Amino acid sequence: MAPILNIEDLSYHYDNNLDPVFADLNLRMEDGEFIAVVGGSGVGKSTLLRCVAGLATASHGNISLHVEEDDTRRSRGVVFQDGRLMPWRRLRSNVAYGLKGLKLTADEKRARVDEVLKLARLEELAERWPHQLSGGQVQRGGIARALAVQPHLLLMDEPFSAVDAITRQHLQDQLLAIWEQTRKAVMFITHDIEEAIYLADRVVVLSGSPANIVLDKHIDLPRPRRRGTDALQKLAQDIANAL
Amino acid sequence: MASQAHPLTRTRLGRALLGIIGVAAFVMLWKYAQSAGWAAAGTIPDPFRLPQALADEWTSERLMPAVLSSLIHYAWGLAIGTFLGFLVGTLAASSSLLDALHAWLARILRPIPPLAWVVFAIAWFKVSHAGAAFVIAIGVFWVNYFATYSAVRNVDSRFYELARAFGQNGHLRQALQVTLPGAATGIFSGMRTGIGQAWMTLIAAELLGVPGMGQEMNSAAGVGAYEVVVVYMLIISLVYTLSDTLFGFIEKRVLTWRPS
Repeated sequence: MAPILNIEDLSYHYDNNLDPVFADLNLRMEDGEFIAVVGGSGVGKSTLLRCVAGLATASHGNISLHVEEDDTRRSRGVVFQDGRLMPWRRLRSNVAYGLKGLKLTADEKRARVDEVLKLARLEELAERWPHQLSGGQVQRGGIARALAVQPHLLLMDEPFSAVDAITRQHLQDQLLAIWEQTRKAVMFITHDIEEAIYLADRVVVLSGSPANIVLDKHIDLPRPRRRGTDALQKLAQDIANAL
Repeated sequence: MASQAHPLTRTRLGRALLGIIGVAAFVMLWKYAQSAGWAAAGTIPDPFRLPQALADEWTSERLMPAVLSSLIHYAWGLAIGTFLGFLVGTLAASSSLLDALHAWLARILRPIPPLAWVVFAIAWFKVSHAGAAFVIAIGVFWVNYFATYSAVRNVDSRFYELARAFGQNGHLRQALQVTLPGAATGIFSGMRTGIGQAWMTLIAAELLGVPGMGQEMNSAAGVGAYEVVVVYMLIISLVYTLSDTLFGFIEKRVLTWRPS
């Protein structure tokens, strides 16, 4: 597999702050790989994702994304922690939002939206306003919106941290089902170690001040995985120790 | 709720009944005040003579020209004030340069009551429709300017980030996709306040001499026809209620996405 993302010597300072949040961070990601980035609060997990998404500019270092030019797709699709559907657009229109400006006909756009709504199991709710959706449905809407642009790299910023535990498990399983179908490269930010192990091929642990990668662990557990197994608990313990 | 709702207030009919009783009680008190002579003789009109006064105004063909004249001032003043308030408010809130440039000026001009401009309205436009519209527009301008300014400033910045994350860059694009819909609720509530504000200013401006309902009220009071004054007061209330209801209807249609 080819590398899709290469992060080299990346450092980030918040405005007017001398100490970097993270410094000289290096990370390489293969296409199709599901990476989870874990770490405590304030280590810059979300900031790292925002840098990769092009929403924040690093102070030093380089981020290179190796994807082919395609004006019917976007290189990155972002899923936010708060779902972030625009309240003044119906779900369908929210999902179609990222398609504006891509070289697609109206029919192609509609087909894309239908496809991802189906993938996220939201077809029935397409005409609803965001305030008529549950927290889990809003999150799935956010995922569908990111998938609609057929991103080469899917960036997810703690997407399930704001929903209740049962919904979170459902969303995790649905995300895995979607990932099995699309095999996209995913960078998934979370503070939940077990979630990271349950979902990812590789768990990257950020820690320290300034933060850096203190552990980069391949998760060899076969899929489909089960929650709460001894093997998973053991891995979780190893990772917790690294933090 | 702290206290329990009275059984009569639980049904529509019950509430309507109570509403009517409230109005009737007020009219009785008014009638009593008139017949008991609480104020200087002839200055409290007889509430039961209002229908006759209304009919007289109608047959003497004074009513409709006055109402139409007022509506012309109202429509122009409201439209110009709303548009300019929206425009300046949006621009000031969107550009830090314009914001700083206008901040002091706004602070100096805003406390001046719209009616203070009547002097200039008369000097520049004589006693004309334009003069009345000018005064009304000033009042409406400030209401819309402030509502728009703060609504635009308060648009959740996360939606701009969302726009950027999905390749929607450029000022105009984000203004149309994020700023306008994000600020729409606040902008509309400013427009609605402006509709009320315009009426207040309108009658006051006309009381100072511009033809319309305000002027009719003034001349009626001059000959002691206070029931005519009350007729116009009630028409003002009616027209305001109609325009506010109409706007509320439009607002609801445009902002369908809001939770009811």
